[in-house]
Amino acid sequence: MKYRIFFSMFGAAGIAAVLSLMSPTPAQARIKLATLPARDKVSVRFDHPTAVLVEEERTISLQKDVNMVDFSWAGTTIDKGSIVFRPVKADSKVVILSTSYPPGENALTWAVYAPAAGSEAFRISYLMGNIQRETSYTALVSKDESTCTLRHNFTIRNWSGEAFDAADFITREGKRFEKAMTNGEAKKVLVNKWDGVKLKKEYVYDTTRHSEGKVLTDYVMMNARDSGLGQIPLEFGKVRIYQDDGKGTTAFTGEDWGKFTPIGDELRLNIGIAQDIKIELKKMVNDRENVRGNVFDTNEVDEYEVKNFKDTAATVVFVVRVQGEWAMQNDSAGFEKFERMDNETIKFWVPAPAKGTPVKLKFHYKRLNNW
Amino acid sequence: MKTLSLRILGAMVALACLAPSLWAKEELVTLPNRDTVQLTIYNSVDLTLVRETRSLSFKKGSNRIQFSWANTLIDPTSVEFRAVTSPEKLEILDTSYPPESREMLIWNIQAEDALSATCEITYFTSGITWAAEYHGMLANDEASMTLTGYVTVLNRSGEEYEDATVRLVVGSINLVEQIAGLARGQREDTEQYKRARDEMKGAATRDWDHNKEIVKEGLSEYYIYTVGGKETVPNGWSKRLESFKQDGVPVSTVYTLDAEKYGFAMTKLLTFKNSTEFKLGREPLPEGIVRLYRVVGANELSFVGAIATKYIAKNDEIKVNAGPDPEVTLKLTRTSMKKTSLTFERNGGWQWVAGWDVVEEFKLEVKNFRKLPGNFEINLSFNGDFDFESGAASTKIDFRTYRFSFKLDANSNNTITYKLTTRNGTNVKNR
Amino acid sequence: MKTISLALIALILAQIAAAKEELVTLPPRDSVQLTIYNSEDLTLVRDNRTLSFKQGDNRLQFSWANTLIDPTSVEFRAIDDKDGNVEVTETSFPPESFEMLIWTVTCKKEGAYKVEISYFTSGISWGAEYQGQVSEDESSMELQGFVTVHNYSGEDYENASVRLVVGVIHMVERVIDLARPRRPSPPVPAPSVPGSPSKENLRKMDSPASGLGGGGGMSRPKEIDKTGLSEYYIYAVEGTETVPNTWSKRLKSLTAPAIPLKTNYYLQPRKFGPLFTKVLEFKNNEEHKLGKEPLPDGIIRLYRRSAAGLTWMGALASKYIAKNDEVKINVGPDPEVTLKEKRLSFKKIDLSFESNGRNRWIVGWTTVEEFEIEVKNFRGRAVGVEIHRTCGGDFDFASDDSFANEDFQTRKFVFALGANTSKKIKFTVTTRGGTNAKK
Repeated sequence: MKYRIFFSMFGAAGIAAVLSLMSPTPAQARIKLATLPARDKVSVRFDHPTAVLVEEERTISLQKDVNMVDFSWAGTTIDKGSIVFRPVKADSKVVILSTSYPPGENALTWAVYAPAAGSEAFRISYLMGNIQRETSYTALVSKDESTCTLRHNFTIRNWSGEAFDAADFITREGKRFEKAMTNGEAKKVLVNKWDGVKLKKEYVYDTTRHSEGKVLTDYVMMNARDSGLGQIPLEFGKVRIYQDDGKGTTAFTGEDWGKFTPIGDELRLNIGIAQDIKIELKKMVNDRENVRGNVFDTNEVDEYEVKNFKDTAATVVFVVRVQGEWAMQNDSAGFEKFERMDNETIKFWVPAPAKGTPVKLKFHYKRLNNW
Repeated sequence: MKTLSLRILGAMVALACLAPSLWAKEELVTLPNRDTVQLTIYNSVDLTLVRETRSLSFKKGSNRIQFSWANTLIDPTSVEFRAVTSPEKLEILDTSYPPESREMLIWNIQAEDALSATCEITYFTSGITWAAEYHGMLANDEASMTLTGYVTVLNRSGEEYEDATVRLVVGSINLVEQIAGLARGQREDTEQYKRARDEMKGAATRDWDHNKEIVKEGLSEYYIYTVGGKETVPNGWSKRLESFKQDGVPVSTVYTLDAEKYGFAMTKLLTFKNSTEFKLGREPLPEGIVRLYRVVGANELSFVGAIATKYIAKNDEIKVNAGPDPEVTLKLTRTSMKKTSLTFERNGGWQWVAGWDVVEEFKLEVKNFRKLPGNFEINLSFNGDFDFESGAASTKIDFRTYRFSFKLDANSNNTITYKLTTRNGTNVKNR
Repeated sequence: MKTISLALIALILAQIAAAKEELVTLPPRDSVQLTIYNSEDLTLVRDNRTLSFKQGDNRLQFSWANTLIDPTSVEFRAIDDKDGNVEVTETSFPPESFEMLIWTVTCKKEGAYKVEISYFTSGISWGAEYQGQVSEDESSMELQGFVTVHNYSGEDYENASVRLVVGVIHMVERVIDLARPRRPSPPVPAPSVPGSPSKENLRKMDSPASGLGGGGGMSRPKEIDKTGLSEYYIYAVEGTETVPNTWSKRLKSLTAPAIPLKTNYYLQPRKFGPLFTKVLEFKNNEEHKLGKEPLPDGIIRLYRRSAAGLTWMGALASKYIAKNDEVKINVGPDPEVTLKEKRLSFKKIDLSFESNGRNRWIVGWTTVEEFEIEVKNFRGRAVGVEIHRTCGGDFDFASDDSFANEDFQTRKFVFALGANTSKKIKFTVTTRGGTNAKK
């Protein structure tokens, strides 16, 4: 004769309710006592730069003693470890004893102790996958290019497998809007609109930004109150720029990625190439001097010929880079002002008269102590 | 082909927006056609901004308007709605992209009253392109020409645009993503687009009403050419319009030697300026092919040359390369070579050369066998540590390049001599 | 799943072969204790029973088919047997089965004896995880610690007392290899597949005695007692637990309601990588309402509390945190507190040469570099900033801003930055190269 020894079983006396929460379809099999509580509230938060936190509130009828509350999420992607389950009331007497994870399932079971039978509201928060968000902007620039109307749109793409009948969607800046969304649906919402935002237009020559040496047209705006912004940090997103053509319609003048811009910082947007300004670089002097054994200095003159074919004068900002130890020489000429941004970088502001009259920026420098 | 459609959805089920599976049961109200359509076509990127207006009737409360664009190349992220009349009474609550279709969206619009409003829908499409080309008819003396500019519009967008106002944008705008890719939900250059561009370059186009006026205006860093009147551009067709025609544009011929640009031969460059002295200069000339012909005999044409030009700003110069001209010759002869200033190093009984100069004399003969006078420009570049001397006047172009410029009458020639001293080895200055 | 069995074999005919043995009823386990290690795939199981032995040789069979028990580790010991009446005189492993052994127990005096069978098994593991809820102003945090026990051992352990060992022990062979020398590969945890639970799982769920509720109708979470042992810590879970095979169970191990928190920003590449990152700091000590035990390694998930609910801040893997040790939680770069470094100038000075007659070459030089670091705080509250700068070679470091030596080649600037303000620090690094360097 062979006997098996069983564990002696003395278990929880009060296992009462196995409730199924949040089960779109297949997990209905788990319902034991069919008090399926509806969601009281759902919010979907986008305040983290990449993750999406869903928070829902449910009221659950509890029996006295230990209740088993079952939560499953077939067909959706939820980070199991991120689930936070708690009573809404701060002074609640309900206690969460433990969490059990059955094998091979997107489910868990909470053991919840209630000192007395009754209804209790709970909040469940968790990270949900496959909900994407995108920030985009349109800027409508005035005819004189001094101001713009900036519209801030927020697009949500829901591929989570979950349908939201009516959820509060909350953006990073805390803007909230209630929407219904099915699985697979995308929605775009205008969240902010700022009128009269001040703009500055800049022509920039920078071969690290355009290797052929074309002149770029940038718009620069400050995320500050006195520029008409400064209410929220601006999220990263595509900015499409339109300009009033003075005839009641607009023309698209370019787009750029707008970087994340905190309050107080500037946002620089390239709209395209200023093709009426031409720059030609010629090296006029390229010598060695002050030779000491294998150590030498160089003597170099770079001449930039600037032709502004526009009908109005313009200022071109040159961003020029020289590596190593170097010094600009005093006979450099043709600029209104300059600034050594750092050791490697110097900026020149070069006035360019209208109608193609050529002017020259002469940059005379010596690279010192090369070997 | 008409593939865009706009509908108002009359919700038969009160809570339709809460139960999206019920969308199928919604009643579709087809809307009136476009009242106006404006195409703004860019040539630096594959992009066209379409702006259309329609009159829509709204009921008080929530209205749902469906916009769909199957089989077109529209960028779904770019579609925008704006009320032109009564904007204060119409609010767009959201734009929804239903899961069943990639090529459809629904606007959820709240109306304060039942009203009828003119609404504007704008979006980007790829597949419509335009390009410029030029014909120059040179007078027999090559001193002037008649220059005609054309613009050709090609529609491969999948949608037919009837009675459209056409605007062409000259300029390089910045695009961070390709519209053709966005239209497909991906990011790559499409075959269709490439084909469209190729066809545009050489293929059959049909000439259009030559009386259409093209109005040119500046906007920011760009120029907008507006075609007078309205155009219908059926899908798959291209259309060529005359942009301008100018008689008597002065042209000068410069025979140029620039070995690094054109090879070691006298190259004939026909130059003119996009300026008022040249009876041009009203607007920049967009990039395109310039073809030059010469009128010979009884209104017969001979082909002179063609060049793909870049954008030509107002007051900027154009040089059309007509290739080498056999009637203009160049001969470069080295008349002497000497080694001087030899320096030596020694090590015991051994001695070897360590530094030397090379002194060379050259003769450059340019002959013009033509029956016309011409301008000449000779550019010479040298390497190393050198000195350049010449009896003829020259200009220093950069630290290693010198230029001789002169004029030659018909059937005449010019001889230039110059001396080049090159230091080598330890003779190099500041070696 | 019940797979371990213990049987007494009564010899019907002593002179006849073992084939004719009879198996005799045995009483159930009195108690079972699991000691689970997290540094190794190892659990020590102590199984206590009361057995009756007759005088002379008794044969006892122990089998463990389909489990992950290490056969070399199985031990038998009589407890409270002061007179030494019961002794295992032979352990035999029958050829027909790998997963069985037979003890010959020699008993001097017939009677009931308490015995302990102990063995190692693999397949049971535990891990710690933490949830931190940071207050809206980031000045304090509620920390909850959890331990989760995973059972993939092939055996259900019912009403087991559970002890968790925090620490790294030394093992010369892996238990999993000893358990299954013929196994082609170690077992993998069951994949997480969506769908309905199996009948088997539901049965366990529904069983009123399964103990999933935490046992015995507790009205509070179980206490987890923490005791130090040699270099290890043992966490003992109050009462008993039932963890069926392939299930996991999570228990709360600590709650600290309001740990004071500091927010600092670091540029310290050796510790936090090349980016300027935001770091939340506290200490595992009494001052911070902790410090009663070390915190085992595990994932910390951080949320920010606000009136509207929780906000996700991020998750990171934390190392073992000893008592009184400081905890720095790197929550990554914050776009609202930025750092920009510039090299303002670069010069080579004090060049020295060597020559041999005609040729001359450089042998010594000194570079002088001026740097500027600008930190901008766009946030509406003051923050702490720490900037570390590591230099190489024979260098001098000079600055008008106050700095301290972190080590022989690292200097650090520590300062506070008010709300919506910025600060520039400048420093000069002079580096002697070649023969200029102090040898």
